[in-house]
Amino acid sequence: MRIILIGYGVVGQSLTDIFLQRKIENLRNYGFNPKVVAITDRGGAAINIKGLDLKRIQSIKKREGTVAADSVFGHRQMSGQDIIQSIEAEIMIEATSTNITTGEPGISNIKTAFNTGKHVVTTNKGPLALSFPTLIELAEHNKVLLRFSGTVGGGTPILEFAKKCLEGDRIKEIHGILNGTTNYILTEMAEKKVTFEKALESAQKLGYAETNPAMDIDGLDSAAKVVIIGNWIMNKKFTLKDVDIIGIRDITLNALEIASKKGKRIKLIGSIDGKPTVAPKEIERNDPLCVNGVLNAVTFVSEYAGRETIIGRGAGGIETASAVLRDLLDIKHHLANKILS
Amino acid sequence: MKIIVMKFGGTSIGTGENIRNVANIVRNSSKKGDKVVVVVSALAGVTNQLIHEAEELTKGKEGRIQEFVKELTEKHLQTIDIAIENKKLKEETKHSAKKIIEELEKILIGICYVGELTLKTKDQVLSFGERLAALIVSATLRDYNLESQYFTGKEAGIVTDSKFGEANPLMNFTTHQVIERIKPLLKKNVVPVITGFIVANQDGVLTTLGRGGSDYTATILGVALDVDEVWIWTDVDGIMTSDPKIILDAKTLTGLSYGEAAEMAIFGAKAMHPRALEPVIKKHIPVRIRNVFNPKNHGTLISEGAKVESKEVVKAIALITDVSMINIRGAGMVGAPGSYAKIFRILGKNNINVMMVSTAVSEANISIIIRNNQLERAMSTLEIALLGRDLANKITSEDDVCVIAAMGANMKGSLGVASRIFSAVAKKKINIHMIAQGSSELNISFVVKERDGPIAVSAIHEEFNLNK
Repeated sequence: MRIILIGYGVVGQSLTDIFLQRKIENLRNYGFNPKVVAITDRGGAAINIKGLDLKRIQSIKKREGTVAADSVFGHRQMSGQDIIQSIEAEIMIEATSTNITTGEPGISNIKTAFNTGKHVVTTNKGPLALSFPTLIELAEHNKVLLRFSGTVGGGTPILEFAKKCLEGDRIKEIHGILNGTTNYILTEMAEKKVTFEKALESAQKLGYAETNPAMDIDGLDSAAKVVIIGNWIMNKKFTLKDVDIIGIRDITLNALEIASKKGKRIKLIGSIDGKPTVAPKEIERNDPLCVNGVLNAVTFVSEYAGRETIIGRGAGGIETASAVLRDLLDIKHHLANKILS
Repeated sequence: MKIIVMKFGGTSIGTGENIRNVANIVRNSSKKGDKVVVVVSALAGVTNQLIHEAEELTKGKEGRIQEFVKELTEKHLQTIDIAIENKKLKEETKHSAKKIIEELEKILIGICYVGELTLKTKDQVLSFGERLAALIVSATLRDYNLESQYFTGKEAGIVTDSKFGEANPLMNFTTHQVIERIKPLLKKNVVPVITGFIVANQDGVLTTLGRGGSDYTATILGVALDVDEVWIWTDVDGIMTSDPKIILDAKTLTGLSYGEAAEMAIFGAKAMHPRALEPVIKKHIPVRIRNVFNPKNHGTLISEGAKVESKEVVKAIALITDVSMINIRGAGMVGAPGSYAKIFRILGKNNINVMMVSTAVSEANISIIIRNNQLERAMSTLEIALLGRDLANKITSEDDVCVIAAMGANMKGSLGVASRIFSAVAKKKINIHMIAQGSSELNISFVVKERDGPIAVSAIHEEFNLNK
């Protein structure tokens, strides 16, 4: 299967690690033989229609900072758009960084991929948060598949759990801790009695939070995930602007103290229960949803099966890359059935 | 007196000098009392320019039209300047050429504004190359004091179905019209010059003959007029025993059967497309491939009885490069009805043409030869569909191979041909990767590494004394 990888950051690099480590198992167990025909990063692209040597590309990326430095296969002038337009492949993986205001370059990359008949796996939340219904419609119209397991819960199969394991039941509400960074900060504040600023600093030191942490602490990242879950699992058509969002900047130690005395914890909760919201809420300390540190948790309330909570690490390069692998295998099975039908 | 259809390709009429050479050839036949019907392609390079321009214009770059029209006009006017000596005739022809190009310009502007190029419109655009060539060649014949008139294939009476881009002739209708329109001219000693490739459907809408092109027009006219021979004038002496670039002492074949000629289509542009041979096979009209730059040579005669002339079983050897071999292995295919069908359906759905196939009776593997530029798509699709589902457990490919095809009608029923071929190759210590022989027995094909190709061809060429 020929793959174009757009964006070669932590997730992209972890994915090539998996391809290299799991080559034999992937082929033997799933008949999956990925050939990465092009990789792009901020410096340009590397292209080989016969499949790039991933070991070589990884070492060039580490040494030179960009895959375009490859003396044989590198192209400094080529953009992701150029590649998607001109290179033949079955799949485009959109792994550029999330832009929650414009969704670009992700949205354009995905549209071009659809237009040229490529299936898409995205780990980029921006395009989905801003135009989920549009992208789903375009994918169906162009008869290609769009997969995005890595956008919610990292490696934790939150979307698949709801979509496949709860098939047939009606999910009425969804509540979740969808952002590991804010959960870490809130946990630190509650347990070590440190201020919000101190906890944020510590999160940044550990690499959990970005230098510009607004996306996490203002609740935008959680809201993007609410959009994805709501559209995909509950079939509600809405985008980021429809979500009421309150972040955690104004949470005081005092508020945490009061909650604690009631046997509760304050968590940043994304909910779809009627209106989609993201806001800090008090929850019972023994609620399965009440996880600590960087963990994520989502509770599905369904008509017959009742409440199920799924807990796991919500981020990380290798975890998210494992979700991409799941998506790729899923597409492979779909394609094989289609080709042979 | 013979009636001969002569087709001249793009290189034969590539320059003014070449067109005079063509006129001379026609005049010489005329002097001998033969009646000649001329079929022409567009001037060398023009067809590709027209397609390219029309495709670019769908992107709406109107500015290019002027420059292109200027370039095209200059090319044809320069050709006229050299081809025609008579001043009055020269000016008349230039005027007509400009008129034709003006018409083209309008269509190009239309494409630019509409922003699309349907097969129907494409056929229209393409027709201008041949129309200009027919005008110039006909005028040059007149410059040589021959009576001549030029026609499009449509005006000559060729009628096809409406499959734009690859139309099929309605032979009986065509024959009726061609006899009515062209035969009287021959009686009056007029040389008709007819555009190749360009024809029309029953409503008069232009169509093109697609693969086979101008050669096809020549054979259609040959059959309609029931001519004695169809001559395809090209820039080589005829069909050769092998590619002279590989085998320096390759010889021109004097005679070939229709079946052999069809097999040799894989030699490339120098041989005729089997589609173009179809009409003449039924009517037993001989076709001769001749060299416009060496008219003394009689070329290669393709006809019904030609095969008996040769004693040797192998007549020609082709080397086909730019191919890849795919090997599909898996115990799952053994005794499973439909497993090969699946493979071919997958490739067919993806527009991948299978050139050669070989399987063992054990059914555990199949080898396929396809064009190089389709390898990546073929491999990817086959892997997605077959791997991981008990249909195949290993799919590999080799892109450094070539196919060698040994051909000859006398192979049929001859013993030991394969043994001679493979012994000759084995003596050069060349390993054979795959073998196929069709039930027609006109051809044995096998696969070797690309680097061994020329050596193997030359070994067989020697074994069958083709250089003698």
